[in-house]
Amino acid sequence: MSVEWYLVVSALVFCIGAGGILVRRNPLVILLCIELMLNAGTLALVAFARAHGNQDGQIFALIVMVVAACEVAVGLGLIVAIYRRRLPIDVDELRELQG
Amino acid sequence: MSLQTYGWMVLLFPLGGTVLIALSSQLLPSKLHGFVGTLAIALSFLSAVGALFALQDLGEEERQVVTVAWDYASTVGVDAQLSLLLDPLSVFMALVVSGVSTLIHVYSLSYMESDRGYTRFFAYLNFFVFSMLLLVLAGNFFFLIVGWAFVGAASYLLISFWYRRTTATAAGIKAFVINVVGDVGLVLGTYFIFKHTGSLDFLRAFAGAEEIARNDGDLVAGCLLLLVGAFAKSAQVPLHTWLPDAMEGPTPVSALIHAATMVTAGVYLIARMHPFFEQAPIAADVGAIIGCATLLIAATIGLVVTDLKRVVAYSTMSQIGYMIMAVCSFAYAAGLFHLMTHAFFKALLFMAAGSVIAAMAGDQNLDRMGGFRRAMPFTFGCMVIGGLSLSGVPPFAGFFSKDEILALVLAREDWHIVLGVLGYVGSFLTAIYTWRMIFRAFFGDPVEPARELEGGHLYHAPEHTNPATGEVEDSDVGFPGPEHHIAEREWSMKLAMGLLAVGAIFSGLLQVPKVTDVIHKFLEPSFHESRFYEELEPSDGVTWIGLAVGALLALGGIAIAYRLWVKDPARPGAIRARLAGVHGFFVRKWYFDELIDTVIVRPFAMFGRFARDVFERVVIDGMFVGGPAGAVRAGSAAVRAVQSGFLRYYAALLLVGVTGLGLYFLIAAS
Repeated sequence: MSVEWYLVVSALVFCIGAGGILVRRNPLVILLCIELMLNAGTLALVAFARAHGNQDGQIFALIVMVVAACEVAVGLGLIVAIYRRRLPIDVDELRELQG
Repeated sequence: MSLQTYGWMVLLFPLGGTVLIALSSQLLPSKLHGFVGTLAIALSFLSAVGALFALQDLGEEERQVVTVAWDYASTVGVDAQLSLLLDPLSVFMALVVSGVSTLIHVYSLSYMESDRGYTRFFAYLNFFVFSMLLLVLAGNFFFLIVGWAFVGAASYLLISFWYRRTTATAAGIKAFVINVVGDVGLVLGTYFIFKHTGSLDFLRAFAGAEEIARNDGDLVAGCLLLLVGAFAKSAQVPLHTWLPDAMEGPTPVSALIHAATMVTAGVYLIARMHPFFEQAPIAADVGAIIGCATLLIAATIGLVVTDLKRVVAYSTMSQIGYMIMAVCSFAYAAGLFHLMTHAFFKALLFMAAGSVIAAMAGDQNLDRMGGFRRAMPFTFGCMVIGGLSLSGVPPFAGFFSKDEILALVLAREDWHIVLGVLGYVGSFLTAIYTWRMIFRAFFGDPVEPARELEGGHLYHAPEHTNPATGEVEDSDVGFPGPEHHIAEREWSMKLAMGLLAVGAIFSGLLQVPKVTDVIHKFLEPSFHESRFYEELEPSDGVTWIGLAVGALLALGGIAIAYRLWVKDPARPGAIRARLAGVHGFFVRKWYFDELIDTVIVRPFAMFGRFARDVFERVVIDGMFVGGPAGAVRAGSAAVRAVQSGFLRYYAALLLVGVTGLGLYFLIAAS
């Protein structure tokens, strides 16, 4: 199977993630969408690694997973903190940082 | 110990005294600080005596020793070293300064005793003496300027010592500002001289002086600028207005600043710079004429002033005029001899005046004094000795020194004769105003304070008033504390005044014409390259006639003063009424304050206001500060609108941006 099919799937997943970030207001869902985008990238990396026949892309994929795990930890932490302070779980409501 | 060690010790003791008093001000009892300060200056004087003996041990040719502690800066041809020049001139000055200052410290021990600022006073006093000694001992222009500026700063501190009295702070500021004018003159003058000699070191610069052409434009400019510095410090016309105002300081300060130290700095400077002045006789002539003008102007003002201390202050100005005239006519030894005798009798007069003022409970007005003769015999005696010496009655010190100056000025034989004759007129006026002061304070009917003192009780004013303006002030501001101290009751004041009286009587014998020649001989190595030092010699006729005329003028002046203020006390009023215009002119001090106010102060104040209202507000605030600030504010307002706070909006921007960037690179790559 040629590499294009993998890339098509990867692009599709990435666009779903990006679209989700743009349209959804729940931070938990936004976090999930970010995960989707990251995994789309990982998929592309692995596909390229296979196509080129070396391991560099796979190693990168592992690193991306680690980063994703960290990012989830931070993101969830933020969401819990928002909840604890009884703030609305809605990114459109959280707009104190405007200029 | 070597000469060099002594030289450094002279400086070290007053500096140590200042630092010690300042640092221990809260630790030690304040009484002790007076003794620490006095001891420091006394040790400094002893070191100066040691330096004198060490100097005399050297051969005549070697009596110019430079000692360098370290290089302060040595770069691009500037040789600024911390160096002392120890030669007869500097040692002579150090002796006079530290000697008279010691006695003034001793006097202050009692005089300032009940002042709340006792500790502060001695710290300032020590600092002042240190600055003055640095000035006279400095071995190069660099440290001369440092000492010069320190003296100005110290005089400001001392004149406005009673800082809650507004007239005192104003006088301090005035003295400081005029002194800074002098500092600028000295610095610029140094630049002109450095330009030609290429060295800041005195001896090297003097060696280079001979190579400069006679009356070279730069040299004349440099010497005139040095004169500006000398005039500001020595209170010569038109930079003299600070000196009478400086009487706002405590009386020991007046004695210190106006007798032995600060005002003589200008005389020292001209004597020290003599190689340049001899190459630029035009500048020296200007100095001699100004000195002569000052001595006459000050003498006429002294005739009409009614403030006891200000009479003495104007007499100081007048005597400094004699010294400036002498050193600018190249009669160095005579000028410095008069500097020494003047230091004795003028310090004595100030101390006696301080004692009278204390007996008057702070009042300085001659109109309210009288008849203190029996109440204060010791003060009266000192005042008479000082007065005889100041007016030049033989055989007191002032007689020999003043007549030596005038004889040497006459010996110049050109138009200097005019200056010499005017000098005799001045000495006649000196006798009149000095004895006017003495007769008015000590003769006539005893006033209330004098009567109380005769009854054994020291007069205390019901309320303290500012002697200059008459306004009421609280007791520990205006006058040294609630207690007053007069010489009759204080051993330390008696000691200081007694020793000075001895100096005022006998120091003239050091240099009696045709008999003794001590000062002239001693100072000779400092002036070995001078063309005039040995050659300028009055003929026998001039000498003897001069002495006779001087003595007659002095006695005549005293006789006139006696007739006017003792025999016929109604006469001065009648004369004043007849010459109301002249009297008013003298009382307003020849309108110098008004002149300076109109010509300099007001235009500068107007210019300052213009600069504040137009330049500062419109150009600086409006354009330079406001312009960039406005631009940044407008720019940031535009950018701030993007920061809406919508997370999804940011994400969209990010996506669009990254996509745009990716597309750009794709297109650019293909």
